[in-house]
Amino acid sequence: MPAIGIRGLGLVTSYGIGVERAVQGLRAGRPGITPLTLFSLPFQDQIQVNQFDHAPFPPGEAGAPAILEAAVREALAAAGLDAPDLRAAALVVGTGGYLFAAEAEYRRHYVAGQLLPTPALRAPGCFAQRIARDLGIDGPVFTLSTACSSSANALLVAADLIRRGEVTRALVLGIEGLSAVALTGFQSLMLLDPQGCRPFDAQRRGMQLGEAAGAVLLEAEDDATRTGDYLLGGANLCDIHHITSATPDGSAMRAVMEMALADAGLRPEEIGVIKAHGTGSLDNDAAEAAAMRTLFGDALPVFTGIKRYLGHTLGACGVVELAAFLGCLRAGFIPPTAGFSAADPALRVTPLTAFRPATQGAVMLNTFGFGGNYASLVITHG
Amino acid sequence: MAEAHSVYIHAAAALGPCLDTTDAERVVLTADPPPAELRELTRKVVGAPLRQASHLIELAAIASQLCLKRLPWPAPENTAVYIGTGLAEVRKTHAVFYQVMPPGPGMASPFDFINAANNMAAFYVAKLGNFRARNLTVTQEEFSFERALQLALADLRAGGFHQALVGGVDENSQPRANHLRRFPLRDNQVMGEGSGWLYLGTRREQARGELLGLRQGARGADAASLLADAVRVWRQGGESVVLLPGFRLEPDETVRLAGALPGLETRDYLAHCGCFHTAAAFGLGTLLDHAAPQPTLVLHLNRDSAGALMLVALRLFASTDSASARVTP
Repeated sequence: MPAIGIRGLGLVTSYGIGVERAVQGLRAGRPGITPLTLFSLPFQDQIQVNQFDHAPFPPGEAGAPAILEAAVREALAAAGLDAPDLRAAALVVGTGGYLFAAEAEYRRHYVAGQLLPTPALRAPGCFAQRIARDLGIDGPVFTLSTACSSSANALLVAADLIRRGEVTRALVLGIEGLSAVALTGFQSLMLLDPQGCRPFDAQRRGMQLGEAAGAVLLEAEDDATRTGDYLLGGANLCDIHHITSATPDGSAMRAVMEMALADAGLRPEEIGVIKAHGTGSLDNDAAEAAAMRTLFGDALPVFTGIKRYLGHTLGACGVVELAAFLGCLRAGFIPPTAGFSAADPALRVTPLTAFRPATQGAVMLNTFGFGGNYASLVITHG
Repeated sequence: MAEAHSVYIHAAAALGPCLDTTDAERVVLTADPPPAELRELTRKVVGAPLRQASHLIELAAIASQLCLKRLPWPAPENTAVYIGTGLAEVRKTHAVFYQVMPPGPGMASPFDFINAANNMAAFYVAKLGNFRARNLTVTQEEFSFERALQLALADLRAGGFHQALVGGVDENSQPRANHLRRFPLRDNQVMGEGSGWLYLGTRREQARGELLGLRQGARGADAASLLADAVRVWRQGGESVVLLPGFRLEPDETVRLAGALPGLETRDYLAHCGCFHTAAAFGLGTLLDHAAPQPTLVLHLNRDSAGALMLVALRLFASTDSASARVTP
């Protein structure tokens, strides 16, 4: 069975275009919070967001594929590849959908005094098809749409395709844009924290939404003895407790982490650091804390949440946070949990609060979504 | 590497746009079907109303539950769920869009917002089946169901799971002109909706068929060659071969394909469900509506908007007990 090398990363975030820009922001401990200028909302002054600079990209729905292609270019360059090298590759995209693109297109016409007869709501798989066409990819094309775990599941699917020998290379993309529907929807559910994301903090009140695109290039390699970063395994499952909230004792989250460890062939004590999902919402953080506490016990490794830096990029967060976090590890540090200031006694765990040097070893990355859709990945950095 | 498992079909079900769930209830559509009201059928099949569920969720819930009821044994908790959907939540997405967008802005209804997430149907299918295993929603336009089926087949063959519930679901919306902006059809094609499901497993006992594989043809590939190759690889002895043509195949192309392979029977399942991205799931989900008198190789073939082809191959076993093939909701 081949090892799965992580050979190229690309990012577009509120820090700018490129992994390095994001890593610089995280190294500075500076949250990438920005003003919301894309549109106005009745509660504009009550939320924090991570919006990226849209100036380099075309307006309207044409923006989404252009943003993705910016991330792809960086990932390909990092891997020393050109588009023709992807001809037989798989393309696997993870996204919550393209409502943000439809909104952008609708607004573009509205501002020009034209009302579209119907929203430009495309099939969620349409942009994957377009990217595949633009890059000349003839391999299998998938779009995974499982809410916030979408692109983490895309990584899992891509890894499976490589492990089974169906492809030797896979390009995995995640994208999410800020949208009025998402912001008002989460506000209606009272899930946005006016002070921004405060993962695992005693005063946490909810999420801080962000937008980003990410690209990860995976390649089959003969063995895992070579230095570098590898995707060791992962798992996905459905927590059927409730459509929007986790099993309170964290047992479903623990189960997916256990399955990911088993798939990676590791024991809990072999995990050196956890990149938690850490949305800052009351219930989700409590369940994740319980899951980590019960799975790892006294051997709980350092864990950190990075959504204060990047915002919660929903369906993109699996790919985006992997790229940003791995970028930090490659730069030699583990970022502390921005937004955290006081431990919640009920959680009985405390996230990383100060920068720490990165070490070689196994890393767990958690992603949990609405509809009980959970994914946990295990990578090794070295 | 461990030997790949064979993958068998143990149950199937399909819900069409006229509330049809059995062969006797299927209706030949001559025009776009009127909007279907699913509340009562949901209550009947699921056993309780799904008060907060969308139309798309009801389509998936009804057909997936029918599929599970037709299984000879209770489906275990570690049944994986794979669902393909081309457009996902059309009506709920429209609803929240107009709640929020200019000349608003307003606020999204919490329930509409939650239901607008593309994986809610998969959650309900898992919740109703009490399934706590892998749960993936795949959306890839015309191949949404086929891609979901491909993932399920690969996972089952690799032994990652031993049983999976695989389905496709799509809903239509009115008016037709607006719906067709995101889902182009020819003028003479009926706009449909529905849901179809297969329960797959690696055990041979009591299986009704076998899922043989999927083959993709690159952009511009010749459909006749792909079909002929599939027949050459998978046909056993003199078994009959049935082609289910997908909605992106032109009618004259279907005629040419049938003519090129002597003895090939074509079955127009689209007449009963209309056209939608995951109509293939409906077509395959109806295959067990009646008993197969002899082993039959079934091939479903469709094309996507880029011109690529996708073929699904399965074998229906001859029914030794016709009573076992009778299906009831």
